Amino acid sequence: MAESQLIEDYPVPAGSCDELLGDNATPRPHAAALIATLRRLGAEALREAGKRRDTIFMQQGITFEVAGIDGERRDRPFPLDLIPRILTAAEWTTIKRGLAQRIRALNAFVDDVYHAHEIVRAGIVPWSLVVSRPSFARPVHGVRAPGGVYCHVSGCDLVRDGDGRWRVLEDNVPTPSGISYVIENRLAMTRLMPELFAGHRVRGVDHYPSLLLDALRAVAPAADPHPTVVLWTPGPHNPVYFEHAFLARQMGVELVEASDLVVRDAVCYMRTTAGLQRVHAIYRRLDDDFIDPLEFRPDSLLGVPGLVRAYRAGTVAIANAIGTGVADDKAIYHYVPEMIRFYLEEEPILDNVPTYLLGDDRVRKQVLGRLHELVVKPTSESGGKGVFIGPHASAAEREHQARLIECQPDRFIAQELVHLSTAPTETGDGQLAPRHVDLRPFAVFGDEIRIVPGGLTRVALREGSMIVNSSQGGGSKDTWVLDDGTAADLAPGTLPARRPPRLPDVRYGGWQGQAQQQQQQRADGH
Amino acid sequence: MLARIAQELFWLGRDLTRAEHTARMLDGAFHADVADAPGERVLTLSWDGVLAIIGAKPPAPGESSLEPLARPATKRRSAPLPSAGTRRSEVAGLLTLDPDTPGSIVACVTRARERGRTLRDVISTEMWEALNAFYLALGGYDLRGALETGPYSVYQGVKERCALFWGLVDRTMLRDEGRSFLEAGGRIEEADMVLRMLRVAVPTESPEGGHEGEALALLRAVGGLQAYRRAVRQAPTLDRVARFVLYDRSYPSSVASSVESLCAALSTADVQPRSSPPVLRLGRLLADLELQRRTGDESGALDDTLVRVQGELELVDRDINNRYFAIAALAAVHL
Repeated sequence: MAESQLIEDYPVPAGSCDELLGDNATPRPHAAALIATLRRLGAEALREAGKRRDTIFMQQGITFEVAGIDGERRDRPFPLDLIPRILTAAEWTTIKRGLAQRIRALNAFVDDVYHAHEIVRAGIVPWSLVVSRPSFARPVHGVRAPGGVYCHVSGCDLVRDGDGRWRVLEDNVPTPSGISYVIENRLAMTRLMPELFAGHRVRGVDHYPSLLLDALRAVAPAADPHPTVVLWTPGPHNPVYFEHAFLARQMGVELVEASDLVVRDAVCYMRTTAGLQRVHAIYRRLDDDFIDPLEFRPDSLLGVPGLVRAYRAGTVAIANAIGTGVADDKAIYHYVPEMIRFYLEEEPILDNVPTYLLGDDRVRKQVLGRLHELVVKPTSESGGKGVFIGPHASAAEREHQARLIECQPDRFIAQELVHLSTAPTETGDGQLAPRHVDLRPFAVFGDEIRIVPGGLTRVALREGSMIVNSSQGGGSKDTWVLDDGTAADLAPGTLPARRPPRLPDVRYGGWQGQAQQQQQQRADGH
Repeated sequence: MLARIAQELFWLGRDLTRAEHTARMLDGAFHADVADAPGERVLTLSWDGVLAIIGAKPPAPGESSLEPLARPATKRRSAPLPSAGTRRSEVAGLLTLDPDTPGSIVACVTRARERGRTLRDVISTEMWEALNAFYLALGGYDLRGALETGPYSVYQGVKERCALFWGLVDRTMLRDEGRSFLEAGGRIEEADMVLRMLRVAVPTESPEGGHEGEALALLRAVGGLQAYRRAVRQAPTLDRVARFVLYDRSYPSSVASSVESLCAALSTADVQPRSSPPVLRLGRLLADLELQRRTGDESGALDDTLVRVQGELELVDRDINNRYFAIAALAAVHL
């Protein structure tokens, strides 16, 4: 029977940890109900749901642009996998604490780097490394961000290693994207596969926009209790414009482009139909380099001249703060556990992936000898660009990479290969197969750090691939954090149930038209 | 609200209304084409009339696209008329399918959808989905084939999609400044399109001339046949129909009604409507139209009135630009 084979034929991978199924395809305890439902639904139902999903996403315009084989760019429905990924409440608590700790340390680091340099003086992070980062922003040296918060928004990438432990792979501090897909995925799943939710209490995710708005309001420098917050997008041609518009709509703030903003006398305004209006806080979705042609790249057409001046004068808050990118650099990543010990005097809850800086001769020699086992990444890139994966590389590619490293050792880091965990994923024909996944939870730092339960689970849709970036054939999964009733997060769903009031004066019938009433009376024999 | 956003909304309204009225006009022209018995006089609102309405001159044989005329095209009816059969597929194709003709339905809808994409945070999700589905539907099947076999259903589809959008505006969009600009754009375009049709249909020489067929064709082209029958209850002559479409505020597509709604929308959007040039100008225009309707100007200057009203609307358009959007344009120059 096809239905039973859906699960029984699932090849649990060796070497990686599977999120939902253990040895011999026995479901993990927290996933038992989900697996039972999948078994009952069978391949046919999955195939049908997949078709409905593509139609709905196209119609709603939840798409992203990809370059086809012919080089032409076209809209594709965002590939949402139909099988959710499940995290238990206990596991989530660990992740949440670990992330909050990490973000506090990173925030302290950014503050330190632009002011007292304590961590440099303590001999933990070399100053030469910090100032040589391309994202180190000289124009804001000595500027304290309003409220002392720099990393308002972050989305660290987490992975589960072969031994089941969580590790941080990357700190996406400047402008992490994907939160809109988290919310849209949940909505789509409740519409496409409502059966799967039966028997689970899943924590809600749709309060992120209000968290973000609260955080931005909290840091806005204004005596006015209703500061003006705007979201700044590079424009409709940005690949994630969908997300910018989504967040602006959900927060109810204006979505501005550079041409809408103007700085007069160190105060930022936006151009409205009724003249200029003061702006207090800007959530920007573009890099430091482009935001002010007077201070950063002079050829930037996306920037607002004078914005950094206004920022220095403290009349406008910018999230994330200018210069935050320095904490996100892959070479700085190596030092984050040390930062946690230095600033917070705590032991890191979440580990790093073992990372080697190649500036040191001895380390470099070892790394070059083990190149076939390691992953090499350029330090100041993102989006999976230029990543070299040792075990998948040919001899010629290894040779090439070794030469690159010899030429510019500071431009690269080497990391141990992480065997990303897998999760059952629908392969397009209704069958399930293991595919590698990561996890990007989204945190917001205003008065305090708040993290949305779950996050974006990205999945590498190609068999065996560990590259989950959506620009390179990655998809996503709805991520469930189960609610065991002990949650400290105040989610709207955890309020005690309230019975609806009785309204005896509200009539049950009697509002039909006259003719129907007469008919009724006649039928009743009156 | 942001000046740039207001301008986009205004033009979103214009684009969609343009598409809708083009569909109505072409539908009317198809009907006139079929109903027009051979040997009878060629209707003014036929294929060449349609070209005159959108302000283009007919392409010479071998020429691919339409070129705008230097002057507005009311006096062009003396040009030799080629046979309707060749005109039909050519003109209907250009105005429906050609993505390079700025006023074609496909071009309007594509632009509207692009604007909708930029405006996704301002308009409701349902409005965006309606726009997106409209765009996808036009690209989703063989439109050219459908136009050959059944133009009625093509234009019916366009009208329904537009009606769906405006219905959703009514039901789901916040009654804020943005909505006012959206409606303002829709109404100014509607007034403009109806005026263009009137100017082509109403003969300059003898206002009493023109037979019933012409009057009916005009009513079909603006989509007001039923409304006229119920409101006027007199045989449609060109003169009566033109006055109905121009003055009668109870008919929603009439010029007077469009001007009234436009004025109301701008008064809502403006922070100081009492000193706003476009609102003041529209108020005067509205009073003028009402006066002419009441006093029943028998001077026969209907076509002069049409020219004057259209001129006024052009000035209103300029005023709107200066008062609300100029600050956005300034930014563009500044860059």
